[in-house]
Amino acid sequence: MNNLGHNDKPVVEHIMKGEVEKKLHGLPVLPVRREIAHEVISMAYGFFTPVSGFMGRDEVTSTLSRMELPDGSLWSIPIVLDVKQEEIKRLGLKPSDSVLLEYLGAPLATLDIDEFFSYDLGKMAEMAYGTRDPKHPGVKRTMEYSGDFVAGRINLVNEPVFNEPFSEFWKTPLQHRQAFAMKNWKNVVAHQTRNVPHSGHESLMKQAWFAANEDMPVDEIHTGVLVNAIIGEKRTGDYIDEAILLGQDALRKGGYFKDNVHMVTFTLWDMRYAGPREAIFHAILRTNLGCTHHMFGRDHAGVGNFYKPYDAQDVLKAERDKLKIKPVFLRENWYCPVCNEVTNEALCGHENQSQNFSGTLIRSILTDGVKPTKRVMRPEVFDVVMSSADKYGFGSPFVTNEYLNSRQPVFNLQKMEVLAS
Amino acid sequence: MTKDGGIKIDVWVNEERLEKLKAAGLAEIAREKFAGMMVLEIACTEELKDALLRKYPSAKYDSSTTHSIELIPREVKDGIFSTALRLHSTGPEVIGQFLQEKKD
Repeated sequence: MNNLGHNDKPVVEHIMKGEVEKKLHGLPVLPVRREIAHEVISMAYGFFTPVSGFMGRDEVTSTLSRMELPDGSLWSIPIVLDVKQEEIKRLGLKPSDSVLLEYLGAPLATLDIDEFFSYDLGKMAEMAYGTRDPKHPGVKRTMEYSGDFVAGRINLVNEPVFNEPFSEFWKTPLQHRQAFAMKNWKNVVAHQTRNVPHSGHESLMKQAWFAANEDMPVDEIHTGVLVNAIIGEKRTGDYIDEAILLGQDALRKGGYFKDNVHMVTFTLWDMRYAGPREAIFHAILRTNLGCTHHMFGRDHAGVGNFYKPYDAQDVLKAERDKLKIKPVFLRENWYCPVCNEVTNEALCGHENQSQNFSGTLIRSILTDGVKPTKRVMRPEVFDVVMSSADKYGFGSPFVTNEYLNSRQPVFNLQKMEVLAS
Repeated sequence: MTKDGGIKIDVWVNEERLEKLKAAGLAEIAREKFAGMMVLEIACTEELKDALLRKYPSAKYDSSTTHSIELIPREVKDGIFSTALRLHSTGPEVIGQFLQEKKD
């Protein structure tokens, strides 16, 4: 099987095998927070190929200034591990040391240190996000870094065990490729999401399926839609993770997509809302999963008014020759009472009568617990979202403080007997 | 925003709510808003909006696009709907009365 990912680099897993506990004996232990743990796991399985460790100064600088890695691979977002100086001193760390990264009180991965460096956080934020405005969530995140960073390759030592319902949807990049092969998919179009699907999303996925099928005959199906949800940092008012995954899956279970054209999985990643740069990152990520096409709609990965609605599509056009994946560009979709269907800006001539699928509007309907019409949301999706609210969301399909504080973890790590130095 | 540009609360109308509106002779005040979805738009003043947000901190005012108060808990929306039904109104007195009863 061809397991070449972004820039034709092989998708390789970095997982320590055999007598792991013995190998970890005596290593200094560095506890890491959730977002770092998620990136460690994603890197270890090859989601970020060719990046397989936390970046050093040169990689960060070339990512920010030229949007590429030092080897020339297109890359848009710094992947960094910030560690406080006092922590580095406490552990007595120096270049070429190995350290054990610990999460949830269990060993997670080793980090083979290449470099320590500091970086101007304001500059990092401005170059990545095009602004220093702390209202931008990516800027806020960057400005919360300590300013001191550790670079080095990672090796996963403890594979995450995903809890229900996440376990049903978890696939590594290599497992994605195997699953596509099992379904005889030659072309796969990725749908990036953090939402439960309304009919507008469903319509976009169906339009994208035809685009991705290209000139292949349709007597036998060899094209699929991969709904790859982003599971990571949550803010109050977001949809709960469980409702997103189960709601997307309900589209296939309800027969709105046949079994042989639709699959739902997820990636551990914290959205940076970096607009065009995040679109490039998503394209790279889904290339590594084995997708051949990627949907990009209006305001992809944007936030507020920081980017123009089609900035992401413009940067993808500009960088097209550096990507293996083909972008499927989509315009804003809407419900048209004249056409009596969900359609979009590129096709429908009744702009003045269009009714937009605003996120605020859909959330308002769901908050009231009022079953939407089929033209807004499939009843099976609504039912699953509301049952997810009861089962996982403390009564709400949206993230609340209670969900943030008391939700079940996405995954657990097995405890290991490792003696720290 | 309401037709006259003011602050509003959207109470979505399902079949059960529509039956209640019909029984009260108020079905005509619900209007189709989006792809067949019916809504009762309850008007709200600036002062009442602030009072409502203070009482229900999970609620948010969308000042940029819809000028509506969102993420109001479902049971609160139920209460606002019942008050509108009782008062035969969608004016700001609905929220005023609702908040007054919650205070009492």
